Amino acid sequence: MAEPRDETSGTVSEPLDLVRLLLDEVVCVKLRGDRELKGRLHAYDSHCNLVLGDVEETIYVVDEEDEEDVKTISKKSEMLFVRGDSVVLISPQTVSF
Amino acid sequence: MLFFSFFKTLIDHEVTVELKNDIQIRGVLKSVDQYLNIKLDNIQVLEEIKYPHMSAVKNVFIRGSVVRYVHLPANAVDVPLLEDATRREAANQAGKGK
Amino acid sequence: MENLTISDAPPPPLQHHAGVGGQGGMPPILGRPPPPLQQLPAQMFTTAAQLLDLTDKKLMVALRDGRKLVGILRSWDQFANLVLQSTKERIFVAPETAPDQPRGLYADIDRGLFLVRGENVLLLGEIDLDKEDDAPPGYDLAEVELVQTLSKKRKQQDKAKEKQKVKMLSKEGFEGENVGEVLL
Repeated sequence: MAEPRDETSGTVSEPLDLVRLLLDEVVCVKLRGDRELKGRLHAYDSHCNLVLGDVEETIYVVDEEDEEDVKTISKKSEMLFVRGDSVVLISPQTVSF
Repeated sequence: MLFFSFFKTLIDHEVTVELKNDIQIRGVLKSVDQYLNIKLDNIQVLEEIKYPHMSAVKNVFIRGSVVRYVHLPANAVDVPLLEDATRREAANQAGKGK
Repeated sequence: MENLTISDAPPPPLQHHAGVGGQGGMPPILGRPPPPLQQLPAQMFTTAAQLLDLTDKKLMVALRDGRKLVGILRSWDQFANLVLQSTKERIFVAPETAPDQPRGLYADIDRGLFLVRGENVLLLGEIDLDKEDDAPPGYDLAEVELVQTLSKKRKQQDKAKEKQKVKMLSKEGFEGENVGEVLL
């Protein structure tokens, strides 16, 4: 049994503690299926299921005509539930991976 | 259980479920279970011509494991309450993880 | 809606057995009072309740390998294993798969009685009996052999495209979502 832990403390002792510190912050999420999301983290659970607000989704696709060209499609969603089994990584930085 | 409870608060709202095979189905959320299987009523499929098998279908049961996203109506989500519930669930999980 | 809360979850059982658990082992959550009880009856929110409504109905079942089945749901369990009676497999080819084929085509193949393992199910759709005899918009009924031939051709085209996509996107640091699996 773990020692009693204060939920508001800033310690990171297991991976999901980091995600807890990102609540209500803008995060970048890389997903399976050639997708990335940027949005404000409103909820998560131990499966990495997420709810993000004001989300911008970037999808990487291969151009139909020129098959050597990779394009991106951008989509917006005001509130999005993301199923955890698609999540590859969650990052506080707004970098491109 | 956080998201199971969360989805229960969204019953009777219109949502759009996007599956891992890219099909997007809009409909009224009628039910959810612990695996996050979802039932939608009065469905409408985006890009219908690509999904002819859905044309005569009026309501669907979607297996939770094939869902990629659920687009939610923002005005139906109480964000502070949701974040609070998330913190509580996290604290709860931390206690029993070891 | 107002009666529901998102903080009312009873603790999940440590193992994920359907139907096990309950109110007994609630750990104290940092001195908060016990959460209010769910207002809607809990039995509404089980897999069983969801599938019960669909029993003995004519359903369209989409499988993970892309197949579409139409049949009558006679039995099921909590994993969504299904027994389908009078099953037909419906195959489709998209418009313009062949040069002289502006519209989509479809055909039915009689399959009989099926038990489908739950993990292969994408979704179940209840068929609107008023619409079941209408062809899908943009599609016509055609000979089974023709549709099968075209569908094979289409699958090969799609496979080649998919291969190119995986190759190009791997350079960007992505990996296909379901490598080696056709989903549609």
